Amino acid sequence: MQIAEIDLSKYSNQYSSYTELRLHENRLLNIALLNGDIVSNMQDTNGGVSARVFDKGAWGFSSNPNATNDSIETTIQAATRNAEFLAKRSGNPELTLPRSQASANSDSNTQKPRKTQDEIIAFLKGIDTYVGEHCPDIVSRQVVLNCLDMEKKLQTSEGSTGHNTNSRSIVAVKLTTRNEAGEPIELSQAIGDRGQFEDVFETPERIHAAVDEMYKHLMNKKTAVKPVSGYHDVILASDLAGILAHEAIGHTTEADIVREGSIAGDYLGEQIASELITLVDFANSHNGEILPMPIYMDDEGVESHDAVLIENGVLKSFMHNKDSAQHFNMPLTGNARAFSYTDEPLIRMRNTAILPGKDKLEDMIASIDDGYLLMRPTNGQADTTSEFMFGVQMGYEIKNGKLGKAITDTTISGVAFDMLKEVTMLSDEMVWGCAGMCGKKQPMPVGMGGPAVKTKVFIGGE
Amino acid sequence: MTNKDIALETLAQISKSGFSDASTRVVAEEFHELQAENGAINLMRTNFETDVGITGIKDHKKASLSVNKTDGETLSKTVANLSDMARGASPDDAYGIASTQPAETFDAGPVEPDYDRMYDRIVEVQDYAKQQYPDLNIGSVAITFGNRRSVYVNSNDVQFESRRGVYRVSTMFTSKRGKQTSSMNYFNYSAYDLDTPVQDMVNADALMRQSTEQIDTHNIPAKFTGDMIITPNALGSFVGFLTGKISDAALISGTSVYKDKLGESVTSDKLSLRSCPVADGVSSGYWVTGDGYKAENSTIVENGVLKSYLLGLYGANKTGLPRAVNAGGCYQIDEGETDLEALIGGVEQGILIGRFSGGNPNDRGDFSGIAKNSYYVKDGKIQFPIKETTVSGNMLSLLNSIKAVSKERLNFGGSILPWVLTDGVTAS
Repeated sequence: MQIAEIDLSKYSNQYSSYTELRLHENRLLNIALLNGDIVSNMQDTNGGVSARVFDKGAWGFSSNPNATNDSIETTIQAATRNAEFLAKRSGNPELTLPRSQASANSDSNTQKPRKTQDEIIAFLKGIDTYVGEHCPDIVSRQVVLNCLDMEKKLQTSEGSTGHNTNSRSIVAVKLTTRNEAGEPIELSQAIGDRGQFEDVFETPERIHAAVDEMYKHLMNKKTAVKPVSGYHDVILASDLAGILAHEAIGHTTEADIVREGSIAGDYLGEQIASELITLVDFANSHNGEILPMPIYMDDEGVESHDAVLIENGVLKSFMHNKDSAQHFNMPLTGNARAFSYTDEPLIRMRNTAILPGKDKLEDMIASIDDGYLLMRPTNGQADTTSEFMFGVQMGYEIKNGKLGKAITDTTISGVAFDMLKEVTMLSDEMVWGCAGMCGKKQPMPVGMGGPAVKTKVFIGGE
Repeated sequence: MTNKDIALETLAQISKSGFSDASTRVVAEEFHELQAENGAINLMRTNFETDVGITGIKDHKKASLSVNKTDGETLSKTVANLSDMARGASPDDAYGIASTQPAETFDAGPVEPDYDRMYDRIVEVQDYAKQQYPDLNIGSVAITFGNRRSVYVNSNDVQFESRRGVYRVSTMFTSKRGKQTSSMNYFNYSAYDLDTPVQDMVNADALMRQSTEQIDTHNIPAKFTGDMIITPNALGSFVGFLTGKISDAALISGTSVYKDKLGESVTSDKLSLRSCPVADGVSSGYWVTGDGYKAENSTIVENGVLKSYLLGLYGANKTGLPRAVNAGGCYQIDEGETDLEALIGGVEQGILIGRFSGGNPNDRGDFSGIAKNSYYVKDGKIQFPIKETTVSGNMLSLLNSIKAVSKERLNFGGSILPWVLTDGVTAS
């Protein structure tokens, strides 16, 4: 039975205490081409029902892949029993959760006719052929498509109801060449957006343009120089600003991480960054634009609100679920999300971004005598101390206000709460990325964005 | 219907749809979890999970699908969808399924969770930490139990059935004194029982003690190039480069730095690396590979010589190189000849790295990243915990520069790893 056809309201008489009942299905399509050969051609559909019950400070959770009447009832009963088991052993009758009631429905399904598998594979082969024809000096190419639909239907004992589907479609391209020493030199990029394949990749031009740009940088990277290790003036291009917003600052302001000891817990209301910095975890839209991961109601049935984390350099608030909002006595923000039907909702970012400034990128480059333009991240990690690290796979020297030679792969790091104080310029452009997959016990698709940022970071190297 | 019946019925449907080669895997798991956050056990979970994975090859075109339903209607639709997917694919002679093997059944571990013991072990480690290390906050500790039953069948008459019940323990913690916070740290392991207290496993007690020391960190005196002692908890980050570059994608694309190196020396002769998914006591292993072959233990590097690539069936067919006898993972590094104390004592200047937070190494093996939960070592003695220290080097050089391997090893349930001393790493 399809999720849309199942009426959750008929189970409301089975709730003995606060209960969330969720139908949840993830649908993934993965097709991968390696040098023109299809090395992956797979679909995965994973869904079911889950119930989570709160009793005297304890949560009981249960899930079942079958969403039949019997299994839904059994799942509610199992979650209730689990909560009661813990409540008897370690419950605290004083603990109650903030109440919420919301309703939200959204649908990311395309209105266009769905493409067949043949058509999608033909599209990817077309991309692969384009790479082969326009990138003559490569020794290896990979083209990988990942399409994810997350469909959730929720009902809570407090009366929240919603049926929401989020989709995103990403094509990742990796090109490898060899330098004069015969060593492999690679560059990769993810291109995509929210929405299903038919809406995101109506034509291949967008990917062609990205491939052309990648190839240009890859050829420059063949003769790259190693960056000089140490603290440098840098411009973090918007791709890096997004991951900076997410990793370096965002995670430290998730209230569960704050509770575990994040440094952000000690600085609420204090100036922690340059006055230029305003950083927001947007719920679903900004300036009238729907963002990469729009969340209207979270998986605890809370209406999603924008969480202004830093405003003009001052740490203003944290992101919350019901547990943390109760603990800190702060308003709910609607950040609780679960990746799979087998998962409980955790505090997760949605669309996290540094807001743009007024500077032009060329002026920012011109303002640096000796530094680097850092353009494209690989991975990133954060810490409770706000110490962060990102891999950088593409960048250039800046010498006397002009771009110089490309640099080899490197890692940048710093302490976010120190580095943000060094921000002196922000570009006037806002670029959103849709390919982020955050890992925090569960994976989770996230959006991130920002302008180019001029600051100081530590660059690894020789 | 049993899971085996479902697997065989689905396999028959795939074959009937015109696929010359077909396979089906049916997995069912009962999953139980107790989780504590910030000192209180606050989540009890019971999940019932299923997964049906099917693969078909028709006219040398391959497709794979997985669903988590086992009803006849869903599976019939899934098989029909498999035909649609294969139709659009490209033919490739390298596709294949496992060849005929005798049917076998495998079984290990308990069938039911011991909730009382799960609960008591969580309370015990929290009480221990509170008493021994007042500045430590165990942000989360979870003990799970999964009882997983799996059936694999294919059209070459392969039939494997298995069941494994295993506990998994995971923790995450930081220490805090005033406004000073340590870097977060964690440890994970798996086991067939919970007979041993959590704080006595995988160097856990030392990691928690070190966390409180790491509230107060210092910069290294100056940039230097010297030794690095890699702890078992951090070693996976460094071994992962080698194992990744001897797997399908890197070897098929031809970009691997280990291409054409089989039988040659690729690391220091002090390193012997094995993949042991079916070794005694390995609770996170597997008996059957994803391709449908019965897994065996293997030697990947012996005394520095590359003995085996980690190629699956497709990668082997594509490259003409031998298929690996397992799918990797469950890595064991042979114990060395040096006591850990002597290993540290031999370091003139270096870093003892507890956790590596780094960018993915590029295809050449160049890496740089932050040494987290780490210490500065000078004149054979651990001096102080360090902050904001970047370590960089090259993975190939690092593995070739191993000077000593400790006698002591940690058993994480899947992997068994020692402390490794190497040099040529730049710390700044």
